[in-house]
Amino acid sequence: MIHYFTDPLQYVFIQRAIIAAIVIGVLCAALGTFVVLRRMAVVGHALTHSALPGLVIAYLMGGSLFAGALVATVVTALGIGFLARDENVYEDTLVGMVPNIMFAFGILLISTTKSFRDLFSMLFGNILGVTDGDLHLILLIAAASLMALFLFYKELKLFSVDPNYAKTIGMPVKVMHYGMLLFLSFTVVVGIQAVGTVLTNALLVIPVAAARLLTDRLGAMMALSCVFAVLSAVGGIYVSYYFGSASGASIVIFAALIFAFAWVYKFIQKAIG
Amino acid sequence: MKFPYCHHSHSVPDPKAPALEIQGLGVSYSAQEKFALKDFDISVPAGSALALVGPNGAGKSTLFKAICGLLPFRCGNIRVFGHPLSACHHRVVYLPQRSEIDWHFPISVLDLVVMGRYVYLGWFNRPQKRDIEIARHALKEMNILDLAHRQISKLSGGQQQRVLIARALAQNADLLLLDEPLNAVDASTRQTVAEVLSKIKSQGKTVIVATHYYDQEEGRYDKAIYLKDGKKISGADIKEDSTHTGCDCP
Repeated sequence: MIHYFTDPLQYVFIQRAIIAAIVIGVLCAALGTFVVLRRMAVVGHALTHSALPGLVIAYLMGGSLFAGALVATVVTALGIGFLARDENVYEDTLVGMVPNIMFAFGILLISTTKSFRDLFSMLFGNILGVTDGDLHLILLIAAASLMALFLFYKELKLFSVDPNYAKTIGMPVKVMHYGMLLFLSFTVVVGIQAVGTVLTNALLVIPVAAARLLTDRLGAMMALSCVFAVLSAVGGIYVSYYFGSASGASIVIFAALIFAFAWVYKFIQKAIG
Repeated sequence: MKFPYCHHSHSVPDPKAPALEIQGLGVSYSAQEKFALKDFDISVPAGSALALVGPNGAGKSTLFKAICGLLPFRCGNIRVFGHPLSACHHRVVYLPQRSEIDWHFPISVLDLVVMGRYVYLGWFNRPQKRDIEIARHALKEMNILDLAHRQISKLSGGQQQRVLIARALAQNADLLLLDEPLNAVDASTRQTVAEVLSKIKSQGKTVIVATHYYDQEEGRYDKAIYLKDGKKISGADIKEDSTHTGCDCP
């Protein structure tokens, strides 16, 4: 039985994929906790879709896909924040509008090349194709993001529960908002490697939503989210390996199953009283 | 090592200055909108209790938000203990209406009250044992120490109000701005809040309360300011007290 788990590990690309899955899972869940609690899930969705033109341009120029996606998401995040300063332009309208424009731009660029070879992995991820260079970058971004989360955990908590109070005690709440968007961009770019631009938001949100059903304590929620995200990512890799399914979609469906179990557990618990 | 949230924080108060001094204040929610508060002057001596009375939309919350830095003002001047607000964030605490807080956030009552200590901790420093003790003491004063480990999502309206006042107590501020603290709370909470406000005032702290219940609480305040449509319309000395003659009664 155990060989089902150990057999795939003889391949270096699976080993790399599993390390990447664990790191991406922890990062997405940790930051995703604040994304969900601050009702920013829709912003995560916007950023993930906005990465596509950056990926395509980098691909066409032969540059780093990571760098391309990062520039596109950071520009989008800061751009939405900047445009929303005009009170006649609602932020939720921008969040609904900008990613569609960016996504369409990405598709337009791809269509001009007449080559859809790598479109699939850009849209739906290919964690099994992670290279050593990718892995180093994932580790670097994850380390920086998790360090920032650890250092500013106390402030993020207050900023999320009562932003007005945070402002009255002198916290630079606007800087914190932009900082959070920046680290969300980093996380999205890392997540794209695993599940692509279309599905990254699912990895940010679904494990946290499942954990939220099971606990109402922040620390426990973050820990459970990390466990669920890592389980989803690693589980998705095994499903992909054995059934030949798309890795990104397998990861997200795995996460959705965990959410379904959590929901049923909570439902039964409520029914029992 | 301390890294305060604001560079100018924690100035020593000017002993001769009033707790709050406002001259010619004009506030609007945007440059295009009309003034929500206009030509507002006030001087509140340290250690006094002031009631802000007026209908909804009169400008009470706007005034509080301008004082504590949540709203920029278009004209005028605000000084707290002789300094601009940026120099003394820790001395002012604003107690908002309960609806402005995310009560579904997954933290405990004690966690929320400890946040009253953050202004002293600044960046990177975590709450220490002493901060926890101060927060627990504040909960005890509000008669809700037994709720310390309850999630904030499971509090009643009155309990939420007590928790917010406990956080204000934990901050140990010298100027307290309370926005409708008695709105939609039970009789027991009303009694506890009244007792705590009296105690705070007896400690030499300054309290400004926006209230709809002024008729029932008249005796608790040294004076009242009446607001309507963003302007001070009239006022009255509530209590003749020689120590508070510095109040500018309109």
